Amino acid sequence: MRAAALLLPALVFGVLVTAQWRAQQDRSEIAVRYNTPLTEAARSLQHEQDGLKAQLAGLRASLDAIGASAASQGGAGRELQARIDALKERGGLAPRSGAGVTVLLDDARGPVAAKDIDKAICHATDLTDIVNTAWRGGAQAVAVNDERIVGSSSVYCVGSTIMVNGTLLSPPFQIAIVGPQSALLAAFDDPSQLRDIKQRRDAFGLGFRVSRAAEVRVPAYSGALTVKRAAAR
Amino acid sequence: MRTASGGIASALVALVLGVLVATHFGSQEAFSRSLQLETPASLTTLIANLAEKNGALREEIFDLRLRVELAQEAIASGRGSLAEAERQVAQLRVFAVEGAVHGPGIAVRVDGPFDDRALGDLVNELRNAGAEAVAVNDVRVGPRSWFGLAADRTIVLDGAPALPAITVRAIGAPEVMETALTRTGGMLGQLALIYPRTRFGTSRESALELPALTRPMP
Repeated sequence: MRAAALLLPALVFGVLVTAQWRAQQDRSEIAVRYNTPLTEAARSLQHEQDGLKAQLAGLRASLDAIGASAASQGGAGRELQARIDALKERGGLAPRSGAGVTVLLDDARGPVAAKDIDKAICHATDLTDIVNTAWRGGAQAVAVNDERIVGSSSVYCVGSTIMVNGTLLSPPFQIAIVGPQSALLAAFDDPSQLRDIKQRRDAFGLGFRVSRAAEVRVPAYSGALTVKRAAAR
Repeated sequence: MRTASGGIASALVALVLGVLVATHFGSQEAFSRSLQLETPASLTTLIANLAEKNGALREEIFDLRLRVELAQEAIASGRGSLAEAERQVAQLRVFAVEGAVHGPGIAVRVDGPFDDRALGDLVNELRNAGAEAVAVNDVRVGPRSWFGLAADRTIVLDGAPALPAITVRAIGAPEVMETALTRTGGMLGQLALIYPRTRFGTSRESALELPALTRPMP
């Protein structure tokens, strides 16, 4: 009876001691002290970025209106505006929609052994590999969680946080791809492509699914153009 | 005595069991991401990156405000807005990779075994460091460019083979791009560990000439 009385508290004590030890191991004193203000600063900058992008979109719309007004006069203004519109389309500054495929990439949602976590979560290189496969399959427009992939786009990873076009993104990642469905599906189904991702999906539950979509919407690029040093010949 | 020692033994067993239960549970919990889980060093890097991107947005907003005002004044005074339209065309031609470009930047030489994914990662890193235009050897990298391997394991860019010795040229801020690649723990350091038989080198270039896309975009 006395042994039984000791059993439960000992069990609970064991759980608590281990939980505390694990927590202390994971988070150093410095992390505890600085993470909250640093996290708030990062979120605040991301919030500020959303506002700046909205302002930029407004100014681009103003320039478009001025251009449209000049184009309505005919002559050189009309020609230049047609050229601007074509370049915006080519560069990813205009939204695009049509048939295509969507790709879902997500961290494994089921139980994963601690030693396998790295294989069960999505990495920046997974996104670059998927985007590369999309272009290979003839994609005409690609966006990752509504961030349009353009000629200057980069996928950047710090720790386990991923940025696309300098914007913080979290899984699940929805990759929207406009383009020829059969060629795109063939590229994603090709066993020689995305071998690592497919192997991690099968072995560790990484979320990876490619679906045909009758109507895919890819938004316009909303970041800065940053053309400072390169000049056209 | 027998009862007491039996109780202590049971308690010890339970304690060990508790440790095992907690350890097992901890290793099986689904990983969830949160900025809170990042280290202060990672968060500081993220903040620097966000601040830099926001700075670029602010700069462009300032520039566009001025351009909208100038265009409106020009229209009001009867001069029209052709100058602004021409300026937009010049900027968009670079952004949309139409035609050849020139400007300062860096050259990255890769001499030895390398693969398509590493080349893609190198170009991605240059873009993250602000590259405005990139070419691999004499082939321009476009908005829809892809890297792959041919049947003979040769790296291909948009389906065309790249030479065994690769030079990636990128127009942008030379010091920023070079530092991003060569800093401790940077891309070239990582690649040097993965490809020990490959030599990597960078040089700052005051005037690079990058060609137009070889094949028109579909």
